[in-house]
Amino acid sequence: MFVSKDSYMFEMIRTELADAVGSEYVGTGDSDKFGHSIDYYWIPEMWHDRGMPTPKPDFVVHPGSAEEVAKVVKIANQYKIPVVTWGGGSGSQGGALPIAGGIILDTKRMNKILDIDEQSLTVTAETGIIARHLEWAVNKKGYSTMHLPASISCATIGGFLAHRGTGVLSTKWGKIEDMVMSLEVVTPTGEIIKTLPVPRHASGPDLTMMFLGSEGTLGVITKVTLKIHPKPAAREFRAYLFKDFHTAMSAGADLMRSRLEPCAVRLYDETETLTHVKKVFGIDIGSGAYLVFGFDGEKDIVELQMKHARKIMEEKYNGTDLGSKGGDLWWKNKYKFFYPGFMFHLPQAFGTLDTVADFAHIEKVYWAMKKAVNEKFPKARFIGHFSHWYQWGCMLYARFIFEGKDVPEDPRQAAALYNAVWDVAIREAIKNGGVINEHHGVGLKLGRYMKDLYANSFPILEGIKKTLDPNNIMNPGKMGL
Amino acid sequence: MNIDKFEEDIKKCRFCFMCRHLSAVGNVTFREADTPRIRSSMIWGVMLDKSKLSNADFIDTIYSCDMSAACRFHCVNHWDENGAVLAARRDIVEAGLAPKDVSKLSKKILSSPAAASVSGPSDIVYYADADTMALPGEMEAFDKIAKKSKIKYATATGGDCGKALKVMGYWQQAKERLGEFVDSLTAAKAKTVVVSSPYVYDALVNDTAEFGIKLSAKPMHVSEFILAQKLKFPRAAGEVYYLESDYLKNYNSNLKFPRQLLSRLKASSPAEFTTDILDEEIPYMFGTNNEESYTCGEGAVVFAQLRPQIVKKMAKYVEARVGNPKADVLITASPYTKIQLSKNTKVKVLTLTELAAGCL
Ligand SMILES: Cc1cc2nc3c(=O)[nH]c(=O)nc-3n(C[C@H](O)[C@H](O)[C@H](O)COP(=O)(O)OP(=O)(O)OC[C@H]3O[C@@H](n4cnc5c(N)ncnc54)[C@H](O)[C@@H]3O)c2cc1C
Ligand code: SF4
Repeated sequence: MFVSKDSYMFEMIRTELADAVGSEYVGTGDSDKFGHSIDYYWIPEMWHDRGMPTPKPDFVVHPGSAEEVAKVVKIANQYKIPVVTWGGGSGSQGGALPIAGGIILDTKRMNKILDIDEQSLTVTAETGIIARHLEWAVNKKGYSTMHLPASISCATIGGFLAHRGTGVLSTKWGKIEDMVMSLEVVTPTGEIIKTLPVPRHASGPDLTMMFLGSEGTLGVITKVTLKIHPKPAAREFRAYLFKDFHTAMSAGADLMRSRLEPCAVRLYDETETLTHVKKVFGIDIGSGAYLVFGFDGEKDIVELQMKHARKIMEEKYNGTDLGSKGGDLWWKNKYKFFYPGFMFHLPQAFGTLDTVADFAHIEKVYWAMKKAVNEKFPKARFIGHFSHWYQWGCMLYARFIFEGKDVPEDPRQAAALYNAVWDVAIREAIKNGGVINEHHGVGLKLGRYMKDLYANSFPILEGIKKTLDPNNIMNPGKMGL
Repeated sequence: MNIDKFEEDIKKCRFCFMCRHLSAVGNVTFREADTPRIRSSMIWGVMLDKSKLSNADFIDTIYSCDMSAACRFHCVNHWDENGAVLAARRDIVEAGLAPKDVSKLSKKILSSPAAASVSGPSDIVYYADADTMALPGEMEAFDKIAKKSKIKYATATGGDCGKALKVMGYWQQAKERLGEFVDSLTAAKAKTVVVSSPYVYDALVNDTAEFGIKLSAKPMHVSEFILAQKLKFPRAAGEVYYLESDYLKNYNSNLKFPRQLLSRLKASSPAEFTTDILDEEIPYMFGTNNEESYTCGEGAVVFAQLRPQIVKKMAKYVEARVGNPKADVLITASPYTKIQLSKNTKVKVLTLTELAAGCL
């Protein structure tokens, strides 16, 4: 049902929503609606840049509890109005955009820390809390969530759960899904459910995992219990420069196969080392591929891990040692990459072709994507780094960039060019054994590839969606659902 | 338009999320619109289509900004969203679109004289603005410190340094008022002007420069002045929590004087730790960080008159971060902040001056 503002039904629904969450927490003004019409996806940003109107919600509600969320969802079912959950709006995939109008359910009022359990080392919080605020609060007690993404200051914990987000220390401490103990979820029909209290059990399939990554299509995650960790006594970084990306990748993969358990590994290809890394660090670190890694924990253990890692880098792969200084530069500047002036921005057109694959395929994926983008779009630059590493493979944070002069002024043409690059690159990634994607999610941007990716298992996802959300009100049109 | 001068800043901020955790208003209203990203995105919309300047919702949002400038201070390139909001307010006023409450308040301010009344000529003039006057304890504390330091001073009261008008967008009037205000201090032969309110300090330091007004006296915030007296403080301040001032920290990068004073007063705080952004120890830190503005809208000077409901929420936000409400003492460099916290919460608040006087 579309609600025209002139219709008395608009007032009827607004009144019901106000009754559910309090009238001061139902926004229908232009600023509220505009504020929820652009996330971190390039297309709505470009659209606004060109003075074009972006799709707006009809209502913006800020519930203060799971009970209030349930009431909102029930009202939406009654009138068959879309409900789009919005955390920080920092998602890059258009996941939180109200493409079909309806209700934006902004979670940020649900921002309480409910418990820090120092016996089990867990924190229970409402999911609308901004990750930085949660991290600061546990820091104050001497702990860390170890979830340190570049968007820590703007994204909510709920957003990370919904997108299976990740932080700079993921290699040792895991992605958000590795950090979760349990969830409270308001289902699309308005029931408040809890998943099992511990993440390891043999009591059937894992419901927690089903909701993680569901991007607001299967309900609203309202509470989470996460693991926390004592702040490590030591954390040390070291960086190396390798003659080329292939050698650096081999060294990085070897480090992971050694099971030395680094907390972070990051590898920048030759182009990104020469341009981006140099710009952010403010010094010339030379040419080649820059690889940085670190360890954290007890000081003597860290020293020993570092000793073994150095052996791999220096003796097996002949890396040029940039020392701990070269490593600390990265740690100190880890968020700086994302501030305007260092990050790409309009009028440039740019996208992060986030892909994950095992070590047997990751280089193939990189080269195939790079070749395809370079051949089909000679005006696009293709750069990449590898930012989240596992025992079995890693994530490719590839990016394409068009300079402003090469982007059509007409917004439709600009969007068409943009989508065409994605089509070419993503299909190439899937063909070569890559999975889209590792931590940014699917949203509106990548929904159209879900059938290719999942092949004949996609109907299972569709079946789950139909069962949980019979009226298809939760974030319709996202994730290909 | 004035916003055109901020085109580069607006272009940088309009799609940037990096300082949203510091949106003191956004953190209590939960509105996306109350963040630097959306405010500058909306200003961008106005740059493309001037008719949007008159949108009542846009105007309301622009005047709901607390102007703490915490975003600019935090930003690695210090892009000036704060300046863009100020320019938008100026455009709104110049287009005759000022909202009723703003226009009413500006008229009220303009109906009183801008020149301060000074008690007599003196090298040192202590200026008590309306916020300071509303806290008799602040003036008594200053007097106690001055007497102990054997310093003679004249008191200036009344008048208006133009800051409130400036933050509301009344540029020309603010400039004229500041000129008259400065003249009244010059006429009193002041060599040093000591102020308790950080916004007055900022007007004397930065607005004079911006407006090309010559101030021959040296402006000093009271914290710097007390430090300069080399007094002995026999009583230790003990455990206190310092709330940064918007105008001292974010507008003047002045983290030093309040901290040095606190350490002279032997103040201690158990809440010291290193944040991974700043990577440095922050003594006397309140709450969990020293980046957020806990001033209840000090940056917008008259925020409590324009947005009392938001200020109340901001005060409650601060109260919720007090570890032990019965025992903890919060210290502020800003009389405005003390007034708002005292009015809206049960927390114990002292100004830096009061704390120092209590340690004598
Ligand atoms: C500068 C910058 C740097 C970034 N760096 C990283 C990074 O290092 N690591 C990383 O993982 N991501 C990163 N991102 C992407 C983004 O921050 C993440 O995708 C994050 O998870 C989004 O969280 P959010 O609260 O902003 O969610 P939103 O953008 O508001 O929403 C994202 C999706 O989640 C759904 N959703 C939100 N909250 C809930 C909930 N409580 N229940 C159910 N569904 C919900 C929405 O409907 C939407 O589909 C970055 C983004 C920016 C702007
Ligand atoms: S001030 Fe800096 S960090 Fe804040 S929105 Fe602007 S560019 Fe981003």
